[in-house]
Amino acid sequence: MAPIRGPQPLPGQERRLRLLAFVKQDSVVRVDKRIEDTAMVWPHLLVIEFIAAMLFTGGLFVIGALVNAPLQDVSNPDHTPNPSKAPWYFLNLQELLLHMNPALAGVIVPTIAIVALMAIPYVDTSRMGVGTYFHSRKGRQIVVFSIVFTIAILYLLVTADALMKASQLAPITFGVFSGVHLPGTTKPGLYLPFFPQGYAAWADLHLPGGKSFIPDMIIPTGVMLFFPVVLVLLVKRIWHADRREWMIALFTGFITTYLLLTFVGTAMRGQGMDLFVPWNVPPPLP
Amino acid sequence: MLDIPANVWQRVVKSSLWRSIFRHGYPDSRKNQSLAVFTNVFLHLHPVKVRRHALAIPYTWCMGGLSFFLFLALTLTGVLLMFYYRPTENFAYQDIKDLETVVVFGQILRNMHRWAAHGMVITVFLHMIRVFYTGSYKPPREFNWVIGTLLWVITLILSFTGYLLPWDQLALWAVTVGTNMVGATPMIGGEILYLLRGSLEVSGNTLLRFYVLHVVGLPLIAGFVMAIHFWRIRKDGGISGPL
Repeated sequence: MAPIRGPQPLPGQERRLRLLAFVKQDSVVRVDKRIEDTAMVWPHLLVIEFIAAMLFTGGLFVIGALVNAPLQDVSNPDHTPNPSKAPWYFLNLQELLLHMNPALAGVIVPTIAIVALMAIPYVDTSRMGVGTYFHSRKGRQIVVFSIVFTIAILYLLVTADALMKASQLAPITFGVFSGVHLPGTTKPGLYLPFFPQGYAAWADLHLPGGKSFIPDMIIPTGVMLFFPVVLVLLVKRIWHADRREWMIALFTGFITTYLLLTFVGTAMRGQGMDLFVPWNVPPPLP
Repeated sequence: MLDIPANVWQRVVKSSLWRSIFRHGYPDSRKNQSLAVFTNVFLHLHPVKVRRHALAIPYTWCMGGLSFFLFLALTLTGVLLMFYYRPTENFAYQDIKDLETVVVFGQILRNMHRWAAHGMVITVFLHMIRVFYTGSYKPPREFNWVIGTLLWVITLILSFTGYLLPWDQLALWAVTVGTNMVGATPMIGGEILYLLRGSLEVSGNTLLRFYVLHVVGLPLIAGFVMAIHFWRIRKDGGISGPL
């Protein structure tokens, strides 16, 4: 039998812990934290995780038992449903598609949005306000203001576009006159008298580059650059916002746009992707 | 009730078999609680201790953890669905129909997979919102925010590739509309569209491509990126909190 080498534990101390590694004290969060501020993961965190997982397992099971996943007829490439919509989480992009050039809506804007999202920490590099919601009381006000501002602007933009492209008045009259049939029109509802074919048809004839240049590229690009800048200038002016705070304004604007366009695309677009008020959307053609 | 004599229990716990599996005693002391976490491969992503602040549910809303939970639930239900599903034009739709009418618990299996997928899109999004508004992307967590944004995009693509698989009208036309958007890419739109669909229109080739991406490619990528994401939470000082 080979002799046991190395230092041996003293009798009665066989189960002492070994030193596994040194952790350097350069991590930001830990520096001046007192030891009393911590809790053991077992049981305190694991209990929360376990309960959350059980609630979601149960919830998922109940929803799965009560609500069936949709299944329509077998796919048929020769029969296009009206309207044809993307999955709901892409309806914000499909909504953009109705207002601008497809390359802009489907590729360029989402790519820029994702890159801009990823760039946030490299623009706002301060370490202020980590771990508190909305940074400060000011931040909270800025969030509310940005939501209201974005909803108002988007409502104006979407309605203006419906007016100009299809001469539709439905979103302005909240669908009250959607049953009215004007003489000489094919669709029910109120329409602008000036451009019976919509502004798009007029633009094709009278604007340089037709509909695809000024209405589909220049105006949307301008709008998407102009309003975020206005929002930042406003919060800087009203609240003397620092970088973190105007970043909150921009991010809130993005989230609100994302959710609102998803809502419009899901609940306010009917046949031909025309705009309707949510309680007046006609059923899709089979 | 079965009464285990104390000495039998002691002998089991002290046996070499038991001790080869569990390297610690019952976790009722600080030492054993620590050992329970870091000698367990599934728990060791956690630190042994966390700041009390990080335990507050109104702070995190558990959204990151629940996203991961839904990912696991989707993997489990997804693997079970794979036993009944063939990704070809001739069989796909009929297999889904059979799941709903013939396979025992097939309908609820499919439902759970679908609702969990929608749920994950929502929880990942809410997690991103939470991380932003608590300023948790700030140094030293910048890169983990980038990784997280990537995971959000991967989640959307995972969900989108799964959308085609039932091969009904809803699936076909949603994916037609969705891929058309990609086809609008300047210069190389046509090529990308063909690469994605494997044909000019959405067809059986597209179904196979989306299936392989959905069940192998994207989950692997997602798992890989998630490993980095979780690892970096630890390395960057745990869940964020006030300085």
